[in-house]
Amino acid sequence: MASLAGGNGDLNSGEKRFAVLLTAPSLLVLLLTTTFPLAYLVWSSFQTINLAMPFLDGFAGFDNYIEMWDDSRYWHSIGLTGIYTVSSVSMQVVIGMGLALLVMQIPQGQWIFRIVAILPIVLAPVVVGLFWRTLMLAPNFGMIDFIIQWLGFEQVNWLGAPVPALISVIAIHTWQWTPFAFLVFLASLASLPTDVYEAARIDKANALQRFWYITLPLLRPAIVIVVIMRAMISLAAFAAIFAATGGGPGTATEILNLYAFKTSFIELNFGYGSALAVSLLVITMVVSGVLFRLRTARGAGGN
Amino acid sequence: MLVSAASLLLLVWVFPLLWAILVSLKSENEVLAYPPNLIFEPIAQNYKDALFGDFSIVPSLVTSTIVAVSTTFLTIVLAVPAAYAFARLRLPAKKTLGFYTLATQMVPPVGLVIPYFLILNRVNWLDTYQGMIIVYLTFSLPFAIWLMVSYMEDIPLEMEEAALLDKASRLQTLWHIIIPQVRGGIAVTVIFVFLNAWNEFLFAVQLGGNTVRPVTVAMYNFVSVEQTLWAKLAAAALIAMLPVVIIGIAAQKQIVKGLTVGAVKGGGRR
Repeated sequence: MASLAGGNGDLNSGEKRFAVLLTAPSLLVLLLTTTFPLAYLVWSSFQTINLAMPFLDGFAGFDNYIEMWDDSRYWHSIGLTGIYTVSSVSMQVVIGMGLALLVMQIPQGQWIFRIVAILPIVLAPVVVGLFWRTLMLAPNFGMIDFIIQWLGFEQVNWLGAPVPALISVIAIHTWQWTPFAFLVFLASLASLPTDVYEAARIDKANALQRFWYITLPLLRPAIVIVVIMRAMISLAAFAAIFAATGGGPGTATEILNLYAFKTSFIELNFGYGSALAVSLLVITMVVSGVLFRLRTARGAGGN
Repeated sequence: MLVSAASLLLLVWVFPLLWAILVSLKSENEVLAYPPNLIFEPIAQNYKDALFGDFSIVPSLVTSTIVAVSTTFLTIVLAVPAAYAFARLRLPAKKTLGFYTLATQMVPPVGLVIPYFLILNRVNWLDTYQGMIIVYLTFSLPFAIWLMVSYMEDIPLEMEEAALLDKASRLQTLWHIIIPQVRGGIAVTVIFVFLNAWNEFLFAVQLGGNTVRPVTVAMYNFVSVEQTLWAKLAAAALIAMLPVVIIGIAAQKQIVKGLTVGAVKGGGRR
């Protein structure tokens, strides 16, 4: 954005050459490590590549995509991806915001909350999935199971029945990433100007009005960023679900990401798995495009 | 009232970890007691087994360290100069290249693990360190460039101008003026890249093997093989997560800053 040289042409071209030199290694690496494999993925989505039946391998045209269109398991996984992403991201934002507003009111000891909030974020999702599968949700052993029965409710087979399993994997993801939203909102709240609040207080605006008309609009950039970042991560969520349920029972928690993985690496049908991954890639691009447009449109109108 | 409500929520996040610590100190028989015993004689046997037993996680800890440290080093060496050019210099097609870098960050990992499996298989690089580190660059490099750009943009412009008037070469400017200014940003980037590399699972489980088996995969295998040895699992997992938890607590301020660097001033950014 900022540039040093003014009108001097020599200095300018020197600067440009230097800039190219500095960026070339990174861009070359990205080209080789990301773009090339992606091109390979698109290519293989038009092939039959089945390690279980290699004699069938060859060009397949649009066969994989046509198969996808008629594949109810594919549409099921798309639906699950939508439910998983929308519910976990909105819960992260709402709970994170609520907790941030609460903690902002506490005069001392905010640092304890910050430390605690860091813990889930730094844990490996696969470990989080394993902890929940064993220590929290396992029947006759897990803590949640114990609490539920202690409260007098029926025992629930959390990871063994379709709906509870879906609720569980959404809850696990929300548990791990709500602290992220919380920390971002807490930092944003702390950086808000205080004078608007005083003006509002003089105007006798109540707490709810202050939140709705002042805090929320000021936090909008932070909210939009959190939604974008978390939606991307949620669409590509893998390790925690894989560790907790493996996509099961049956296909009850098999989001598109897992379906593409299992088709490739368990059924060894790499051609079809590639087509599924390409469709996830397209969905991710469309969602991020829409969210980014939302962000710029609002930013331009808001300020 | 306020404090107790907040503390209750706090408990939701601490509890699973505290519970894991408790379980890791129990014998396997004690673990299966239901309802769970809160009072018991703590033992260190699970930790001894996790470190020195038949399924020792020490080799995996070494593997994770090699992969994470190499990935972090390569990423920083590549990302810092690139971020400087993106943030501060005239670069041809800057907008397009910037968008390209951002776009590579959004590629879902499953879209890469499939082609990488086929490619690395063909060149016999499955289950090798070089293969794994190359794959890890796909998520660490775009992220690191993006994060470093926001730190580079914060350097006051006068610093560079003064240096250029002294006819210092551009490379010297970068090395002696810019890099010391963004040391904090580099530290934050190192932390994030290391954490992400240490915690990675999808690539590791499919592109690794007996030679390259990071801790995340070792944990997963442990549950598949030893279905019910949960006290040992808890001990092993806590050891495996100790480095990232220590980094998380020690660098809590930097991590929060890294998380929020885009979000808090986000309004003004492209």
